[in-house]
Amino acid sequence: MKPRALLQILVLLLFALPNAKGANDGPSRTGDDLFAKANTEFAAGNFKAAIADYQTVVDSGERSANLFYDLGNAYFRHGDFGRAILNYDRALRLDPHHPEADANLRIARDQAHSLELAPSALEKYLNFGTANFFAIVAAIFFWLAIIWMILRPGRVLWELAGIFLAAICGFAAFTLENGTRGQRLAIVIAENAEARVATVDSSRSVLALPPGSEVVILEERGDWNYAALPNDQRGWIAANAVERVRL
Amino acid sequence: METLRRVLFSVLLASAIAQFARGDSPKITAVLTSSEVVVGETVQLQIQIDNAGTSVKPPSEIDVPGLQIHFTGKSTEMRWKNFTASSSITYNYTILPEKSGTYKIPPQSIRAGKDNLRTPELTLEVVDSPRTAAGTGSNRAPSGNTQAGENKIAFAELLVPKKIAYVGEMIPVVVRIGFNSRTRVAEMAPPQVSGQGFTVQKLGEPERNLENIEGGSYVVFNYKTAISAARVGNFQIGPVEQKANILVPRRSSGTRRKPFDPFSEDPFSDPFFALPFGGLMEQHEIDVKSDPVSLEVKALPAGAPPTFSGAVGSFSMTAEANPKRVQIGDPITIKAAISGRGNFDRMDAPELSDERGWHKYPPSSNFKQDDDVGISGTKTFELVVSPNEKLTNVPPLAFSYFDPVKEKYVTLHSEAGPLIVEGNAPAASAIAGTSPSASTPPVPGGQQKTQDILHQINDRGKMVSSFAPVYARKEFWLAQLLPLTLALGVMGWKVQNVRASNRAALRAAQLQHERDELLRKLRRDQLAPREYFSDASRLVQLKTALKQTNIEPGTVDAETAARVFDLNAEQSERMRRLFATSDEFRYSGAGNGESALSSDGRRETLELIESLS
Repeated sequence: MKPRALLQILVLLLFALPNAKGANDGPSRTGDDLFAKANTEFAAGNFKAAIADYQTVVDSGERSANLFYDLGNAYFRHGDFGRAILNYDRALRLDPHHPEADANLRIARDQAHSLELAPSALEKYLNFGTANFFAIVAAIFFWLAIIWMILRPGRVLWELAGIFLAAICGFAAFTLENGTRGQRLAIVIAENAEARVATVDSSRSVLALPPGSEVVILEERGDWNYAALPNDQRGWIAANAVERVRL
Repeated sequence: METLRRVLFSVLLASAIAQFARGDSPKITAVLTSSEVVVGETVQLQIQIDNAGTSVKPPSEIDVPGLQIHFTGKSTEMRWKNFTASSSITYNYTILPEKSGTYKIPPQSIRAGKDNLRTPELTLEVVDSPRTAAGTGSNRAPSGNTQAGENKIAFAELLVPKKIAYVGEMIPVVVRIGFNSRTRVAEMAPPQVSGQGFTVQKLGEPERNLENIEGGSYVVFNYKTAISAARVGNFQIGPVEQKANILVPRRSSGTRRKPFDPFSEDPFSDPFFALPFGGLMEQHEIDVKSDPVSLEVKALPAGAPPTFSGAVGSFSMTAEANPKRVQIGDPITIKAAISGRGNFDRMDAPELSDERGWHKYPPSSNFKQDDDVGISGTKTFELVVSPNEKLTNVPPLAFSYFDPVKEKYVTLHSEAGPLIVEGNAPAASAIAGTSPSASTPPVPGGQQKTQDILHQINDRGKMVSSFAPVYARKEFWLAQLLPLTLALGVMGWKVQNVRASNRAALRAAQLQHERDELLRKLRRDQLAPREYFSDASRLVQLKTALKQTNIEPGTVDAETAARVFDLNAEQSERMRRLFATSDEFRYSGAGNGESALSSDGRRETLELIESLS
């Protein structure tokens, strides 16, 4: 078997299977109807009703980037910038190249004066790919190195290079997943939220957080979350004041 | 080498002399260890002269009616910092007041080299009863001695300048650990200030001084720190406990000593001084403990201004805003610097006295301390604000603190700076495809720019069930089974290949071995014709099978051998005869033609076989 053919098969398998399984079979009739109804209500200016309908579709599990984008628009029009930003973020999480969600997210952040987390230096270098991208590339490098090791046992340098690249890509995926845009990212949805030094409302404020501000949840303790804040400090935030981007 | 060493030594010596020679001009300071004292108790007067040189003449006596002032000794300190030497001499006087009143200790003239220095005038308040002085006086816990007697081995002192303080107030504290100068400190950890109800700043590096105290010479380590009471009540600070390993001169046997005084004999008769590096010292572990100090902590009075956030001390504030000309919504940075002395760690940023028309961003801060313990310094805040409307000035900042000396709240205000705000706040516009709706609520947060968001998307798009990254999904790991299977398949195929090649190699080795054996037998020329031709034909078969690996030796006949070895007609004919003779001997019995094999025939046959390659 030629190496090129082997690589093609490997790439095909690694990309095709997760995508095939990750996507649902398709929208249900009920979901479609509800989505269409929500759009009609939005067009009529009934944003509250539109939000309720979009949310029902989201809760049913039939999620898509466009659904979160539309829900974000409804919240924006309703004046709830925190949840609007949250849903634009979710749309971008499902489809990182969603231009409308990206544009509206900028507008909502500007309106809300929300605070953004500064990515670390490493995250800035890795922002050309997503955690998924790096995970798949790591798997490809790994298996190529293994198969190469079996086929040409004497080529240690190539095998080590493959394993090393796989490790680098795995580390990149881990870094992005646990960084400022990763699984612990949450958005402030409450008005007048404040991060405090302790888990009591009367404790000293560390930072006032406008709606839509980003925080990274570090620990959950009852009604409070300990979070990394946009000003490089940490503080306790009421759990109901923030919502994780990931569902 | 020796010359180089001398030159280096000379340079260093000259440098050191030059440092002293060109040292700064002498400076003099005079301080009382306490400005208030009770009749009958003593207070120390310390006159310190920096960069004094050697020819200093201190006042032998200071005459103040009502005060007994006695010279108790001097201490000298040498410091090297950044290759610059400096020295200071401290003259210690003990003051014993005879009656109450306010005393002025007049300036004292001291001649230091060519300079004539004068101390400042000092004021000492003497009160009758200890209770009168307790409120504001120094709070000094005298030493806890490890050994009784006039000359102690070590002592510990806790100096707290106040007996009454307010919650949150920073109180400087000095911990003094002294060791008799005839001992050497082998090991000592920083002392711990124990107690509850207050926080203690980290102890910094100690200052090391040589001091004369009550006629004894001590190396004193001064640790500076600060405490801050966290709640109201009466607290006990300390005691300060210190464990140290010290080296003391070993007692010479037979020398008579005063009881309880390890240093009573002539110091120069001690073996330590006779042989200072002769190991004539013994190590002792000692515990030094000061007395505790009591502190009464009062609550801050009621009526704190709204801008008070917990700062206690004495502060001043300056502020500056930039830029002075902006558009609506543009950021303006206000830098506010709060300087002074107090609890900077509890200090929050000053606030805008009027926030209407402004959007505030969270402030950042930076603290630059002026002392060792962080009580004194400047905390700089950067507040970013943006105007939501046309305004003409930056509102003044307000900062409140509690002054424990004046015992009242103080609010500082910065000056309102002029500002030019240009532009207009744009009106809210409608979403594409939707008319401006009456049901759209006003945007929270007052007036601000409203930008248009992009349109709704009526297509739901691709459904995605999970936000989890690909590697956190079960499918990803199931997908790894495919390359794993592929890898295992490739591995199996590879193993099979190796095994097959191993079998072929084994077969070839066996055939070669048999070939060599047969060849040796044929060359010995001792075989009977029947056996000879049988072995010869077998040898041809083996050679043929070795040349063409896919042929089994038993299936090789004369034609096959001729084809494989590409024999000519004559050789082919001889090969056929060889196989025919072999078959004849094998199938027609032992008697037929056995005598027909001549030595020439054997040689020809052998030549034919050896020619096969």
